Amino acid sequence: MAPNYSRLEMMVVAASRLLCDGEKVLVGTGIPLVAAILAKKTHARGMVMVMEAVAFDSDPESLPFCVADPRAVYRTTWTPTSAEVMCHFLQSGKIDVGFLGGAQVDRFGNLNSTCIGAYGLPEKRFEGSGGASDIASLAKRTIIIMNHEKRRFVERVDYITSPGWKCRALDWKSDVMRADVGLDGGPHAVVSTLGVMKFDPSSKEMFVETYYDDLGVSIDDIRHMTEFEIDLSRARPMKPPTREELAVLREKVDPEGIYMRY
Amino acid sequence: MTQTRKRIPIERVSEFVQDGDSVWLGGWTVVRKPFAMAYELIRAGKKNLHLVNNPGGPETDLLVGCGCAAKTETNYIGHELFGHPYNFRRRFEQPESNQGFRHDDWTVATGSLRIMAGAMGIPFIPTKFLRGSDILNPELDGFRDLRGIDPKVPKRKFMMLKDPFWEGEEVVLIPAIRPDVCLIHAQEAGEDGTVRITGGLFLDYYAAVAAKITIVSAEKIVSREALEDTREENAIPGEAVDAVVEAPFGAHPTAVHGCYDNDPWWFRDYLKASKNEGTMQKWVDEWIVGPGSFKGYLEKVGARRLGKITADPELSYSATIKRRLDKLEEVN
Repeated sequence: MAPNYSRLEMMVVAASRLLCDGEKVLVGTGIPLVAAILAKKTHARGMVMVMEAVAFDSDPESLPFCVADPRAVYRTTWTPTSAEVMCHFLQSGKIDVGFLGGAQVDRFGNLNSTCIGAYGLPEKRFEGSGGASDIASLAKRTIIIMNHEKRRFVERVDYITSPGWKCRALDWKSDVMRADVGLDGGPHAVVSTLGVMKFDPSSKEMFVETYYDDLGVSIDDIRHMTEFEIDLSRARPMKPPTREELAVLREKVDPEGIYMRY
Repeated sequence: MTQTRKRIPIERVSEFVQDGDSVWLGGWTVVRKPFAMAYELIRAGKKNLHLVNNPGGPETDLLVGCGCAAKTETNYIGHELFGHPYNFRRRFEQPESNQGFRHDDWTVATGSLRIMAGAMGIPFIPTKFLRGSDILNPELDGFRDLRGIDPKVPKRKFMMLKDPFWEGEEVVLIPAIRPDVCLIHAQEAGEDGTVRITGGLFLDYYAAVAAKITIVSAEKIVSREALEDTREENAIPGEAVDAVVEAPFGAHPTAVHGCYDNDPWWFRDYLKASKNEGTMQKWVDEWIVGPGSFKGYLEKVGARRLGKITADPELSYSATIKRRLDKLEEVN
């Protein structure tokens, strides 16, 4: 029998499983919001969901449309500004997890949310960093969530908006390891529509940890949809979503299908 | 002594903004943006504005699209999940549409630090952000040819400094933002300029203090007694505000906590129109120039639509509004 859930749903469930009870998670607009709220409504009730614009420990009843939405404020203990969230808590190393989307990612987890093509005359210009660069720089670990396509999983991102494990040196002329430019933390996982990728502890390069076998995804699919050579030797099948995870996602987190496009 | 009666009619807002000024528009992307005042700037035909608000929303895309803004210096310009900022994008993607437009990329944290530095009257501020990112890549500095020439643009984007006081870490010095004008929309304001904001202040306090001139539009002008009764809820002192305007629905189509939600019909129409220059110009004529005033604009939006987006008093947002543009039902 064909599975009764989509790759998009598996991606959101897989990402939500990476968030732990008690952690302070700084969540970006879009799919990260959906996955974080799912975690909070299932296994991580005590997770502190932080939104850069307006809310510390938000527990929304209705899905916020962005991180400044009055829905994010409805149930929260503190309504700070980005000055407190970003410049105080994040910059001083007090945020456990950063949770981001992006347009392109490379083997070292560098993220691009600025432009495709040359910066001065791009094929596609996007909205820009928002808080992504800040979050990827100084959260203790970063989780990235995005559709798995060859044009998105690239050898080298066209522009490093948010630094990964190997990023720009302080002379901006070469690439160095992030520790060499004074950054802590780093990308922890990339959750895609095909599987979950992690980073090798010594080489800091992306490898496939799990793939969505139940949905007909093979490791060859991941190889074909990834521009750079990716280590598949550690890949194992992902555990499908539970009935509870799917029910909470569909009925409580995004019943309107704003992000899930039902 | 602070001038106590600062109320002006909305038509006078454009007198406070000069061509070429650097302008901070308060709020956050699709929340509490000073739209009524932005429409006034467009009707007055302002030119060469340098927008420094962090972040930008539809008001920034609109001012770019109308040719009012020649420069943007911010971390984000967009409509969140509603869709993409086509006017802003076109300036990059189509060289014939560029018209000398320049953009400088920043981040939420560093935009916050820069406006705080502006409020404190210090010229720059150190940060641990931006290291490792192309945002500081000197070859990708969107304002490179303006630095040292344009007085509204900092002479350099950043400077590295080895911390001389503690562990010797390499930190980044970034310039203060010093807006000529700050425009904010709030829930309430007093005649003396005291501002009351609920549901998130964003960076509006810092911007009001940093700017040379600050104008606040409010859903409602309230009495001094009302402001004194619950004084802890007041967000910006009248001292930092030069003029106040009463403008109900003054942030439409963006959301105002406790008052109204985003207007999805506006976003649907705007996104469709902003995809090219010709339809964009028609949209501006129809919605901004044609109605002639903010009052005329609200009449054109219509009471039914304004009723639909009105916030539930307990939730502070609309529990019934549908936000998926592809499944939107007509109201009229």
